[in-house]
Amino acid sequence: MSENDNKLRYSVRGKKSRFFESDGVDELVSICMSIAQELWVVKEELALLKNLTLEKGLLTKKELENFKFTVKQKTELDNENKDFIDRVFFTLRESVESVDSNHDEPNPPPIP
Amino acid sequence: MTRYVQHGLKVKSKPDEIARQNFMLNMRSYVMLDMAMGMKKIYDNNIEPNFKKLNKRKPKNGDEIHKTIKKDTYFKFYSSIRCNAQEMVFRSVIPPIERSMIDLKKKAKKLSTSKKANGSLKIDKKLTIPKSVSALDVHLMPGCYHSEHSENDLTQGALYDNGVSVFSMGFFGEKLDDIGSSISLFIKKKYPKFKPVRILDLGCTVGHNTLPWNKVYPKAEIHAVDVGAPVLRYGHARAQSEGISVHFHQQNAEKTNFENNSFDLVFSSMFLHEVPKKGIKQIIREAKRLLKPGGLMLHMELPPNKMLDAYNSFYLDWDSYYNKEPYYKTFRDMIPEKVCSEAGFSKNKFVQFIIPSIGQFGEEEIIKSVNSQNGNVDDRTGRFTKGIHWYCFGSWK
Repeated sequence: MSENDNKLRYSVRGKKSRFFESDGVDELVSICMSIAQELWVVKEELALLKNLTLEKGLLTKKELENFKFTVKQKTELDNENKDFIDRVFFTLRESVESVDSNHDEPNPPPIP
Repeated sequence: MTRYVQHGLKVKSKPDEIARQNFMLNMRSYVMLDMAMGMKKIYDNNIEPNFKKLNKRKPKNGDEIHKTIKKDTYFKFYSSIRCNAQEMVFRSVIPPIERSMIDLKKKAKKLSTSKKANGSLKIDKKLTIPKSVSALDVHLMPGCYHSEHSENDLTQGALYDNGVSVFSMGFFGEKLDDIGSSISLFIKKKYPKFKPVRILDLGCTVGHNTLPWNKVYPKAEIHAVDVGAPVLRYGHARAQSEGISVHFHQQNAEKTNFENNSFDLVFSSMFLHEVPKKGIKQIIREAKRLLKPGGLMLHMELPPNKMLDAYNSFYLDWDSYYNKEPYYKTFRDMIPEKVCSEAGFSKNKFVQFIIPSIGQFGEEEIIKSVNSQNGNVDDRTGRFTKGIHWYCFGSWK
């Protein structure tokens, strides 16, 4: 083994769990999560830039790479991240909330 | 705020990588806390009433709930998101580890001769890796505990340490040692006359729950075994960087080469559930062989199914089906008292405790819990949730 071979495996060996009967839904969930993650990267990097700009007034590559959020900034960001996740997966929260309202809802007319 | 790995083997992540890790931490929090609560609500309001209507009774056990709930869309999303999140946690830490592989080796080499601690490392290149490790990527960690990418490699240790730092959402503490810290303090307070001279940790991985024993028993000689060479190399360097002397050995906990009656305390944490039933029984027998008369065997684990209601059994067993931890349910279906007595421990020497997390409750609550053990587990035991408690069982020899 040479040091040049130092690449780790990103994928998990073996059979992958599947949960949905319809073709492609499991893959769509994976893709949605990756998109959500990448969107979060953009948001966090923007927050980083904003904070840095406010604090320093100008940017250098070194400053950008070494910047660390303060505990307060990170806490605020974590809260924003949680709200963001809640928005992306709103449909799931809605399905839980609908448990309460199911009983009182009048039935729609029969579908012809 | 959760801080990721901070000790001497810290790897440097770029800002976009840190953002990916942060996202995964919060995504895990969303699925393990918010979605888990949502699923319970759907169960209480829809699944269980429908089951009762059909069967004129409540589900008897976790399996019956699983069979019913697996058709529910919310469960499907919960499971799919949880699986993806688990895989993405490890993927989020791989790039900085890949960049640091050579540097990590250099750091480990330097730390092994550090004067801060006198620990040691014994690798057995001839050891056969058990199938329970070699044949699958346990808990969806690519490469598991044992894969080696180069000579003297320790990257799987780095992957475990960095991955679990994100995965655990802060519940394991900044050094991932909450379990070891909580339990070791509890034992010291519960048994003030018990002063172990030699301690052994079985299935130690990177030694994160081995090190806290040094804090409560600083004079004890501490040993730790695992089958994975990379996690041991990493664990050794990690302990040295923390200034704690631990002797790491690449050995199979089912059959070690230590002498009979040579340890006062044999411990494990989150280990047995990753071992097949036959191996678990052998490990308990081996622990008995290794213990001195008057010594204590203690295993921190997920609580057994017989201590939980049907829903919580179903909830905890999820990992067995979907998280590449196939022996998880088999272990949790076992009865700890019986396993210990079958290995030759006296029935009246059996112990089990439910211990508050030191990170969430502080030392005072652990001390209080010494005299308030009622044997009741609830949905905070062994689960990533507010008010987490750790379950452990074992026996005196």
